[in-house]
Amino acid sequence: MNEIRLTCPPRLDKESGSELFKRLRHEKVTEGQTLVLDFSETEFLDSLGGARLIEISDHLRRWGGQMRLENEHGDVAEFLKVITPALSVTSSIQPKEVEVLEKIGGTAITVGEEIWQFIDLCIDAIYWTVLGPLEGKGFRWGMLLDEMHEMGVRAIGIVCMMNFLLGLIIAMLSAKQVENYGVQILVADAMMIGFARELAAVMTAVVVAARTGAAIAAELATMKVQEEIDALRGMGLNVAQFLVAPKLLSMVLMLPCLWVLGLITSLSGGFVWGVFVLKFNFSVWYTETLNAAHFQDLLQGFLKTIAFAIAIALIGCHNGLRVTGGSRGVGLMTTRAVVMDIFVMICIDIVFATIFYYILG
Amino acid sequence: MNTKDNHTIIEVRDLVTHYGETQILDHVSLAVPRGTVYVIIGGSGCGKTTLLKHMCGLLKPSSGQILYQGEDIVPMEEDDLAKMQRSIGIAFQTSGLLNSMTVGDNVALPLREYGNMDEPLIQAVVRMKLGLVGLADMAHLMPDELSGGMRKRAGLARAIALDPPLVYFDEPSAGLDPIMACGLDELILDLRRMLGITFVIVTHELDSIRKIADRILMLDRGTVIFDGTMEDVERTETERVRQFFERRPDEYIVQRTI
Repeated sequence: MNEIRLTCPPRLDKESGSELFKRLRHEKVTEGQTLVLDFSETEFLDSLGGARLIEISDHLRRWGGQMRLENEHGDVAEFLKVITPALSVTSSIQPKEVEVLEKIGGTAITVGEEIWQFIDLCIDAIYWTVLGPLEGKGFRWGMLLDEMHEMGVRAIGIVCMMNFLLGLIIAMLSAKQVENYGVQILVADAMMIGFARELAAVMTAVVVAARTGAAIAAELATMKVQEEIDALRGMGLNVAQFLVAPKLLSMVLMLPCLWVLGLITSLSGGFVWGVFVLKFNFSVWYTETLNAAHFQDLLQGFLKTIAFAIAIALIGCHNGLRVTGGSRGVGLMTTRAVVMDIFVMICIDIVFATIFYYILG
Repeated sequence: MNTKDNHTIIEVRDLVTHYGETQILDHVSLAVPRGTVYVIIGGSGCGKTTLLKHMCGLLKPSSGQILYQGEDIVPMEEDDLAKMQRSIGIAFQTSGLLNSMTVGDNVALPLREYGNMDEPLIQAVVRMKLGLVGLADMAHLMPDELSGGMRKRAGLARAIALDPPLVYFDEPSAGLDPIMACGLDELILDLRRMLGITFVIVTHELDSIRKIADRILMLDRGTVIFDGTMEDVERTETERVRQFFERRPDEYIVQRTI
């Protein structure tokens, strides 16, 4: 027999629909069979009842059967008409199976594209920061001042605080280590060398990456999502000139300034420990610190901050401009920007260490 | 007036509200009859959206009462308010779909949270509701893969997921092409007829108002200047209302355009 006939109850809702479904499951549906649902008695159908009909049609489709409605009338008929599209669509679309090689290839293409985009952004940004203004193509100086205030002046407090505390901790720990040898005065040297070469620059850059790097990414990402970037492009404005260049220049100008402040406060952290806890004479500690200061160390720290500054600004902008998919995308890209900032910073650090200790010797 | 009046689903009495120092709504009163399409109109910035947000308890007024099924929602605690909000569907101007989940999951969200249903039934309801708005086969897409009109319809599908008796719709046809806008009007009328849903709609679209409105309320600078049916609109003497429906610009705009 090629047809199953079922009569629908007078009220088709969640419960009676479930009953109907059970009755159908008792009948074994086979390939090519048609279920005829008789609606002659049905006067009422609510949306959960309708949902049960959708479940029934899914069940039939799974077993190769079909469904036909009969004798529907009045409101029920109208309601059935509007849910017809849902009756004829399969519930979920299976995602396509992806082969391993396909996956690797896909990833390689994405990474390649991203690197290319980043290089493109770098070229654009450097052009509009350095060559553009020199060629008289304009630079948003007002925007630059705003950015410098936001990135630099407003970060002074947190940068100084973090560096001071780190200086204090390093002094505390290294003094403990050398206590038994009676050479605690060398802590002053260690502080100077360590912070000039490495710690002040990294600490300052980490604070700025978390603070400003995230802000840059979030700002540009939100602008992209709200079509502000498209609006700028539509007005014929260059995004690199309008948004990226002021941020890049401001970062390159402000991060070294913050580094200087960070270096001074971190050394004063060590100084507080040396003078007030280790009870060294002020001038002894001061002279020792200055004696340990070498131009090459300071130059290394300074150049590093400039490299960090470029990295933070460009990575922030890059991730911000790559956003897709609304609010969630903004969050993802902001996180990604900060993680990338810190990772790239460590890479830059390694490069500098190699150059200064192994190549320049 | 009888507060337990069964014909009125939601009623606003003497609503006054401020944003900071600025008064947005000034003694607004209205009553929405059950099973109607109630349209709120008015110029930009006159407080329409603010009024709507008050009517679903998203904002607290400075003073006044909002009675939903006879109960005042203004002094309600969080829990009671949430219960009341469950029985109201809200479709936002920019759809309000959560970007982090698929369209289907968006519609399923209220069902999973409050619906007390098993997963196959939820999936079936999701498909039916998406089918009602013409998106039956789009459940697996992310909201940012949809066009503006589709997002708006998906937002409506989520609003009606729990079969609420009352649905608020902010600017249903704004930004849609005429065919789509007209289809959405039809859909609103269908849903009202078949599911008995009461609609409170904020809109500017004159054609759409003429087609769907059972009752019209017009706000101007925070006060109600008109409340009546479409026939009343034809007969009204209120200058501002006539201006709105005849699409006449304000004097100062005319001067500027010449």
